[in-house]
Amino acid sequence: MLAALLTLQIHAAASLTDVLREIGTAFTRATHVAVAFNFAGSSTIARQIESGAPGDVFISADEAQMDRVAKYVVPGTRRDILSNQLAIAGERDLLKARRIALADPRAVPAGVYARQYLERKGLWRALKKKVIPTENVRAALAAVKAGNADSAIVYRTDDAHAFVITDGPTITYPAAVIRDSKEARRFVDFLSSDAAKTIFRKYGFMPK
Amino acid sequence: MRLVFDDVTLALPEFALRASFDVETNALGIFGPSGAGKTTLLEIIAGLRAPDRGRIFVDDVEISSLKTRERRIGYVPQDDTLFPHMSVKKNVLYGGTGGAPILHWMDDLMHRGVTKLSGGERRRVALARAMTTNPRLLLLDELLGGLDDAKKRELIALIPRPIIFVSHERDEIAALCEHVVSIDRGQCSAPASLPQSSFSLSSRPQLKR
Amino acid sequence: MIAFTIEMALVATALLLIPGTLIAWLLARRAWRGKALVETFVMLPLVMPPVATGLILLRLFGRRGVIGSRLGFDVVFTWRAVVLAMTVMAFPLFVRTARVAFEHVSRRYEDIARTLGAGEIRVFFTITLPLASRGIIAGAVIAFARALGEFGATILIAGNIEGQTSTIATSIYTLVQLGEDRAAMSLLLVSVVIAFGAIFASELLLRKA
Repeated sequence: MLAALLTLQIHAAASLTDVLREIGTAFTRATHVAVAFNFAGSSTIARQIESGAPGDVFISADEAQMDRVAKYVVPGTRRDILSNQLAIAGERDLLKARRIALADPRAVPAGVYARQYLERKGLWRALKKKVIPTENVRAALAAVKAGNADSAIVYRTDDAHAFVITDGPTITYPAAVIRDSKEARRFVDFLSSDAAKTIFRKYGFMPK
Repeated sequence: MRLVFDDVTLALPEFALRASFDVETNALGIFGPSGAGKTTLLEIIAGLRAPDRGRIFVDDVEISSLKTRERRIGYVPQDDTLFPHMSVKKNVLYGGTGGAPILHWMDDLMHRGVTKLSGGERRRVALARAMTTNPRLLLLDELLGGLDDAKKRELIALIPRPIIFVSHERDEIAALCEHVVSIDRGQCSAPASLPQSSFSLSSRPQLKR
Repeated sequence: MIAFTIEMALVATALLLIPGTLIAWLLARRAWRGKALVETFVMLPLVMPPVATGLILLRLFGRRGVIGSRLGFDVVFTWRAVVLAMTVMAFPLFVRTARVAFEHVSRRYEDIARTLGAGEIRVFFTITLPLASRGIIAGAVIAFARALGEFGATILIAGNIEGQTSTIATSIYTLVQLGEDRAAMSLLLVSVVIAFGAIFASELLLRKA
């Protein structure tokens, strides 16, 4: 059987960086189809897709960004694959923190979820001016690691030591095919396979 | 003035410049074709270029051991070097007056701007600028080049002593100098004395030492 | 935010004027061992990707950075980081333009000034600097324009904090990210008009030099 010459281009939310690499390796081993990843804030990816950037599959960190590119999605291929939870990295007491890094709360899912949560808790107004918006959730984490921010609200899957917010919002990661092909559909299917679910759990994600 | 060049040497791309002589004179001419090293020699005297070795004495003062600004040697180079961003007055007074009175023959030019002067006028300003600081010696590089005879005579009447005068025109050397050194491809001859022309005989301004 | 960007760009330009002029003069007029190294170092932000420069600045000036940890105040994610990014990125452009301006000042004028008794500092302030001033101002204008448009390093070390460190450039980026194209285009127009005006003024100045 001829190995496929195709390389699948996967756009995925930054929070999936480590786990998807491992899943990608497993997929290639099983199917002989190579995958290449573009990790970024989901809003950045949505923008790129709107502008016609090439790509086969999109995995977003929230519904909103996937909704944004609805007309580019191959019908019937969208599916929710993961859940996640918010967590606080660094200084847990957000009122004490001088700077709080968030993935841009205007657009990037992690930041949007964080803002919604803080608004619900009545804390947003007080904390708003301490917020440092970053391009994606990993950048927010990096700011804390480098000491340039005291706290960051990230996903619990981004930082094993982060303090999990148990009463946070429901976070759903939808995946969909952007450019139709047999291999692209196979990849999205693979994300729901047992093999993939095991890997997701290993990294702290909750497969749907 | 007593002028001593003690084994002054400078290696140049095409040849080596060499000058070694001892002369008592008020006006030394340096005569030679273009490219012979005349301007370079003046630059060495003025302190703008360092020789590889050798010393220069002016009236027993070892000027070669002094910094340019300490030598008190006036220099009027060949091309136009009036400071373009200053008026005539500011140009002339740049070095201060060293106690010398302002030259009367500059009166008509002092309030002019530098840009619209004629060739002869520019030379006059450059000369005045060098003289105003009251130097011990004046170096003139082709000061009369390109001027018509009438203008040349005008300028010649203003030139003080002592001077070192560079030219490739024999008549100019003859009109101004008491001695002349010939230079060819860097080699300087011994100074030869010149018959005094009528111009040199007339009384002329002396620089204060 | 527009006013903030212009203010920061003005501060950045003001900051780089004196060190930039000094370095430009040194590069134009002096030679020393390791000069090539200095030249390369100064030009680096011009040829490296701006984000790479931003990364270096982040490591140096972050709270735990070699410089940042010793300062006693925050740089990263504050307006100071905006100024820092602008200054660093605009610096090589200024130095390059100012250096050329100095190189175009004929050494002859400086030499004459020295023979008239001026010390090095006087030569610099009365001859070199005035004659190079047109080019230096042009350099400052170019630097200002560059500072205004700075993005890559800015977004890394200043972030894009609304009301605190947002600049015209980073705001355009965010608006594009959010899909707000109309607003992005308006801001783009502002940016283009300012940059156009700055470059045009600079060209006029350079032409007259």
